[in-house]
Amino acid sequence: MSTAPLTPLSPLQNPTPHAMPSAMDRLDRAALQDVVDLSLWAGQLVMQRGADSTRIERTVHRIGTGLGCNWMDILVSPNVIIVTTSSGDEFRTKVRRVVRIGVDFAALAAISKLTHQVMAGQMDRFALRAALQAIDHQPAHYPRGVVVTMVGLACAAFSQLFGGDAPIFFVTWLAASAAMFARQALQRRHFNPFLVVLGTAFVAGLLGSLGTVQDLSETPRVALMASVLLLVPGVPLINAAEDLLEGHVVMGLVRGVNGGLTSLAIAVGLLLAMRLVGVEGL
Amino acid sequence: MSTLLGLVLEDAFWSAVAAVGFAVLFNVPPRLVWACALTGAVGHMLRTGITESGGHIVLGTLIGATVMGFLGTLLGRWLHAPPPLFNVTGAIPMVPGVFAYSTMIGLIELAGDAASAEVLVDTARNGIQTALILAALAGGITAPRLLLQREKPVV
Repeated sequence: MSTAPLTPLSPLQNPTPHAMPSAMDRLDRAALQDVVDLSLWAGQLVMQRGADSTRIERTVHRIGTGLGCNWMDILVSPNVIIVTTSSGDEFRTKVRRVVRIGVDFAALAAISKLTHQVMAGQMDRFALRAALQAIDHQPAHYPRGVVVTMVGLACAAFSQLFGGDAPIFFVTWLAASAAMFARQALQRRHFNPFLVVLGTAFVAGLLGSLGTVQDLSETPRVALMASVLLLVPGVPLINAAEDLLEGHVVMGLVRGVNGGLTSLAIAVGLLLAMRLVGVEGL
Repeated sequence: MSTLLGLVLEDAFWSAVAAVGFAVLFNVPPRLVWACALTGAVGHMLRTGITESGGHIVLGTLIGATVMGFLGTLLGRWLHAPPPLFNVTGAIPMVPGVFAYSTMIGLIELAGDAASAEVLVDTARNGIQTALILAALAGGITAPRLLLQREKPVV
């Protein structure tokens, strides 16, 4: 018996676990294939729906180890997740390309619940596969019309925070709702994301300048400022800053650049509309 | 004092409405929407209280977001949901949206005839405000995670 080192190696230095599982506990190659597939799928789902990098890594890791792997190596990069699962001497690696879908917190909550069930041993690979399938095809909680109205109302609330008066509240509600409707229509036709933002900002700008043209209000420009706020890339920008803080520098930079480009698209759409209507300066 | 209180309460109301609108956009389950309204109101209301009493907007954002971050973490435990549901949705009213696109409008103006030293300073100010407010927002939201859950790295 050799003497073991007094200080245990951190998992980062030593990816193989300290206590090797007995042959019984080890997963065979077929099981490992399932585990790498399921954990990667869960990671993909949370990444597409607005999770920050730490949450993506934690989800993959917890599902993989919960299903019986000893260790997971995970690389989250802007368009790709790469996972290696290991059990004893066996390991398998898989790469998956991930395209962003949009923020969906119901799905994040559902996957978080699944992760805890897997860790507690209440869910096996087969049940997990069915559950992930269900989350992937879950329809949204709110019909499109409700989303249009509520997003319009949110922008109208912003107009009040900026000191707008009552007419401006309703102009903003109308402009932002119409813009949200346009955004959904453009998204359904699979336009480039920045073009969707530009077109939506243009619609918001056209209707938002109603107040300036019609002399409806004392504070006409507030409607212009507030009705494009539905486009502000809040979640990408917050995630960018969180990723940078937590050491996911590449992810943070990429999210930040995307947020900046989205802001540029908002500015261009708004300026085009303002030039067309003849409003100058915000 | 009472005018400040009135202003802050009105601010809380409209921030809550804005947070609810974005909760619907982000597909937050209906049973949890009230909690997003609460975090949205608390964060923005604190920030407005601080800026109205003469504090800097970045400091106000940091304090508002930190209180909101801890509140969101507690709500997540009580309601069995991931904290970002409440933190990120609640942070939306504090996101420097107008600063962000004003920076871009300023950059476009700098390329045209309207360019002046004043536009340059305004644009730089807007850009720096955007970055600092975002940093304060993220710092506040992650504060509970950074201070309380210092897990060893999983990767």
